Amino acid sequence: MRVLFKVIDRLLERVRHDLARPHEFAAERVGFFICRTAELAPEGVVVLAYDYKSVEDEDYVDDASVGAMMGPNAIRKALEFALNNKAGMFHVHMHEHAGRPRFSRVDFRESAKFVPDFRNVRPEMPHGALVASKDSLYGMCWYSAVSAPIEIDDFVVVGSPMVVVRIGP
Amino acid sequence: MNERHTRQEFLGTRSEEIFKNCRVSIIGLGGGGSHVVQQLAHIGVGNFRIFDADHVEDSNLNRLVGATESDVASKTPKTVVAAQLIKGINPRTSIVYIPKKWQGSADLLRDSDVIFGCVDSFSERQQIETAARRYMIPYIDIGMDVHDLGNQFAISGQVILSMPGELCMKCMGFLRDDLLAREAERYGAAGPRPQVIWPNGVLASLAVGIFVQLMTPWHHNHKRVWYLEYDGNSQTVMTSNRLEHLREATCTHFASLDNLGDPFWLPSKAITG
Repeated sequence: MRVLFKVIDRLLERVRHDLARPHEFAAERVGFFICRTAELAPEGVVVLAYDYKSVEDEDYVDDASVGAMMGPNAIRKALEFALNNKAGMFHVHMHEHAGRPRFSRVDFRESAKFVPDFRNVRPEMPHGALVASKDSLYGMCWYSAVSAPIEIDDFVVVGSPMVVVRIGP
Repeated sequence: MNERHTRQEFLGTRSEEIFKNCRVSIIGLGGGGSHVVQQLAHIGVGNFRIFDADHVEDSNLNRLVGATESDVASKTPKTVVAAQLIKGINPRTSIVYIPKKWQGSADLLRDSDVIFGCVDSFSERQQIETAARRYMIPYIDIGMDVHDLGNQFAISGQVILSMPGELCMKCMGFLRDDLLAREAERYGAAGPRPQVIWPNGVLASLAVGIFVQLMTPWHHNHKRVWYLEYDGNSQTVMTSNRLEHLREATCTHFASLDNLGDPFWLPSKAITG
């Protein structure tokens, strides 16, 4: 099973800019890539990010144990959006360094709590969670309704220049 | 860096790895496409998807790089000629070759990083560009033509980069409804069009240059849109002045979300696991 995530550089730039904005109490910001999909032969999926939804200031919960904690409103709005727009939703946050980022233990734990909920409203779409660094990406995809999340194999930032990050084989 | 690529080291310390890992599809392996695959193999591209339904004919030998008289006799598919050319330069490449019409295996384009189109017709160009936009893939189109001016001939050609999110070939005025309609009217009656090797070589080289700038730019003046016009009589290449008039324009032809991803996405695997 292969997962390829594609995003146009201008959208990714917009996302990085949004995530870098300071918040009143949260140490970092989060948002969602909105995605369409296509099948990838022989077995896989291409995730095509076409827009972004920022989590609004008032939808963060003050929780010092994590960088950013979304409140129930943030999740509800994202779920509603997925439902009404037939969208795959990929949560994204940023690590402020260059090079390939990785999920922290908290990233895994927190993503596993809410990403599967998107499958309840849009089971046919892949959903996931990403972390962007200053020049790279990493992420997990909840593709199948029953199996564990899988690592995204390839990221392609479409632009000039192209950025291709191959993680899988 | 491999000794082979030391002369192109200025493309960046990671350039060898970038080319080795990238996936390129080439549709049409005639006069233009055969030059393109040869150059990409030399540069070090590691993964090819090559599409052409034709086999080698005697009339191809005036321009088909890699083809020989024995290929004519044995009716070698053009995909096989291209694959031999690539493997002869770099045996470690991965090649998927499709000796049929690309439309029947269009799913193989989806994970391409870049698509080259080296085809004859406007309608086929339109189809390739539509597929490329659907899967967010930059599309590089090349083509040449010979025009009968009555008492002499004129050679012309173009190289276009159609980048997702940017101006498309319709925006640029290269694909026009009247041209597509005229082509559809004379479908099957066009006959063989004149083709010669040197304009193919010029246009293929420009296309590969655009590809290299996309993948491993060696300068900072990256362009997102290219439309180069080749005048084969004056032996000059210029950026089309149409782009000058489109500076502020945005593409409306592929703006709809209906043009992105699978139109009827419902993979059973996503549900059943």
